[in-house]
Amino acid sequence: MDRANKRELVIGAAMLATGVIYLLLTANLPRKAFIDAAFVPYLLAAGMCLLGALQLIAAWRQPPREDGVAPAEAGPDYLTVGKTLGLIVGYIAVLQWLGFPIATVAYLYLQFLVLTPHDHRVSHGRYLLIALCASVFIYVVFRHGFDLLLPAGLLDFIE
Amino acid sequence: MFELLLSGFGAVFSLNILVLVTVGVAVGIVFGAVPGLTAVMAIALCLPLTFTMGPAAGLSLLVALYIGATSGGLISAILLKIPGTPSSIATTFDGGPMMDKGEGIKALGVGVVFSFLGTIFSIAALIFIAPWLAKVALSFGPHEYFGIAIFSLTLIATLSTGSMLKGLFAGAIGFAISTVGIAPVDAVRRFTFGIPNLNSGFDLLVVLVGVFAISEIIKVAEEVRREQKTAVGQVSMRSIKGFGFSMKEFFEQIPNAFRSALIGLGIGILPGIGGGTSNIVAYIAAKKRSKHPEKFGKGCIDGIVAPETANNAGIGGAMIPLLTLGIPGDAVTAILLGGFMIHGIQPGPMLFVSQGELVYTIFAALILASVLMLILEFWGLRIFVKLLAVPKHILLPIIMVLCVVGAFGLSSRIFDVWSIVVFGLLGYGFVKGGIPAAPFIIGFILGPMAETNFRRGLMLSDGNFMGFLTSPIAGSFLGLAALVIVWQVWGAFRDKPSKTAEILRA
Repeated sequence: MDRANKRELVIGAAMLATGVIYLLLTANLPRKAFIDAAFVPYLLAAGMCLLGALQLIAAWRQPPREDGVAPAEAGPDYLTVGKTLGLIVGYIAVLQWLGFPIATVAYLYLQFLVLTPHDHRVSHGRYLLIALCASVFIYVVFRHGFDLLLPAGLLDFIE
Repeated sequence: MFELLLSGFGAVFSLNILVLVTVGVAVGIVFGAVPGLTAVMAIALCLPLTFTMGPAAGLSLLVALYIGATSGGLISAILLKIPGTPSSIATTFDGGPMMDKGEGIKALGVGVVFSFLGTIFSIAALIFIAPWLAKVALSFGPHEYFGIAIFSLTLIATLSTGSMLKGLFAGAIGFAISTVGIAPVDAVRRFTFGIPNLNSGFDLLVVLVGVFAISEIIKVAEEVRREQKTAVGQVSMRSIKGFGFSMKEFFEQIPNAFRSALIGLGIGILPGIGGGTSNIVAYIAAKKRSKHPEKFGKGCIDGIVAPETANNAGIGGAMIPLLTLGIPGDAVTAILLGGFMIHGIQPGPMLFVSQGELVYTIFAALILASVLMLILEFWGLRIFVKLLAVPKHILLPIIMVLCVVGAFGLSSRIFDVWSIVVFGLLGYGFVKGGIPAAPFIIGFILGPMAETNFRRGLMLSDGNFMGFLTSPIAGSFLGLAALVIVWQVWGAFRDKPSKTAEILRA
């Protein structure tokens, strides 16, 4: 079995697992009649399980691809993906406590660093300046232009 | 009708709406032009800005973004040879070679002018078809709406790019996520796990921003560090007369443009497929009907006229089901639906009765945005070219912050901000698994419509399922839905991919 088939098998298994989990959650819903709030979720769960099973069968029966795609020069950079996700989660976690302006400057600066291409020179001063300007601009525009109360956090004393 | 249209023009020519439409078109062109940024992202990010505006101003801004972003894709398709949006895939086939031959400005001029003509054609169709269809739809009840929702769901899931199984699954999972919260009719809490924030379910904007914007940022993170500086083709505007092509060339393209506009309009009306498909279908049709098909792909203007007319003609087409039935045809119109709802307006046939003036203001804003697109996109080209060079590692984190602001702005809850990350991960999972995102969104929107009307319809017919089949309209749509499934299953067994599918998968 080639890599593409294995990938399709994993997708089929994930589809089936999603259907089964949704079915188990649906089974916990209170029943009042045949057509009630659980009727459509049962239909959907059955549909998802069926589609997952069909995907598994299709992936299993698919012959190995002869025209196999040549392996990419370099695979996806999951380390950068992981760091990016970590930064996003951290940013949201401290957003209310630190406040939008400070959290945004920190997030933008670190995210610029993480995403900078290998052949680009890292310019700390420029990155900090862009992060600061973007954060202040967005905060002022939304806070005063659109009356959106973004969390001020530690800067709560500034109006 | 004409009085209403005139009063619509009166509204859009007020200073604040005029400024908003101009800014909307310009921002839309940038989002369309920069590969990786999309019309959905543009509208999703600007949606929170409309919270404090009136419906006329807010919706005018959103449709201006839509028009700008649909057309903006041609800039990168020609200058970078990378389609800025899926709507401009076929534009690269002849736009790139024309650029290489030193006819870049001519390619851009042709693209801009025929994008404009395609949009105007579709708006005219929208103005004439929509009120008539709305009148017919006024008599629709729950049975009919259930039939239409099921037909649209089937069409969307089966016609989307990639495997039919995955498309159907995406639609089902979107529908499943829409069941979170209080159920229609009997108000039972479903899948809330005791979390009060889940009682009202997930907001459409949160789902859209997560699936389309956050997932894109995560996806770009996979390769941005290996990215090299993009070489943006340069064009000179010196000694350019008009739009860079002759009147003879213009008139020669009229039959091609008319055919492409009809293709774009027809495909735009169908739920599930839009500019991403119509530009390729129009290109293939133009090549087939051409007297010199061998010139296609080597830099002929026919190959730019067809996709650019068709993708923009889809705008008016997609607005027809949205305004008359409240059914979005694609992700962009789905988010426009969100824009209507934020302002307390429910699109559907009643909209033409209760908010006639607003509907015609939207029509007027569409026309104004098209004219501004014609002017700004061609004469402001140098500015847009400069923006193409903004590095992604700077642009995307700022877009991430705007996504956070948009989600927080919905109801000032951090819960919504966490939700965009969850949906972003789901969208990223879809990308990795080759599962199309559009059916997911449409399932999320049309699911509650189907379920609510199913329950109401059953109540009206005293629990008798036959009510859905004996109503001629509901029965026809359910029959069509069954036909679509049979046709798709038969097509899957035939194992012969269409030319359009081949190009889309390439």
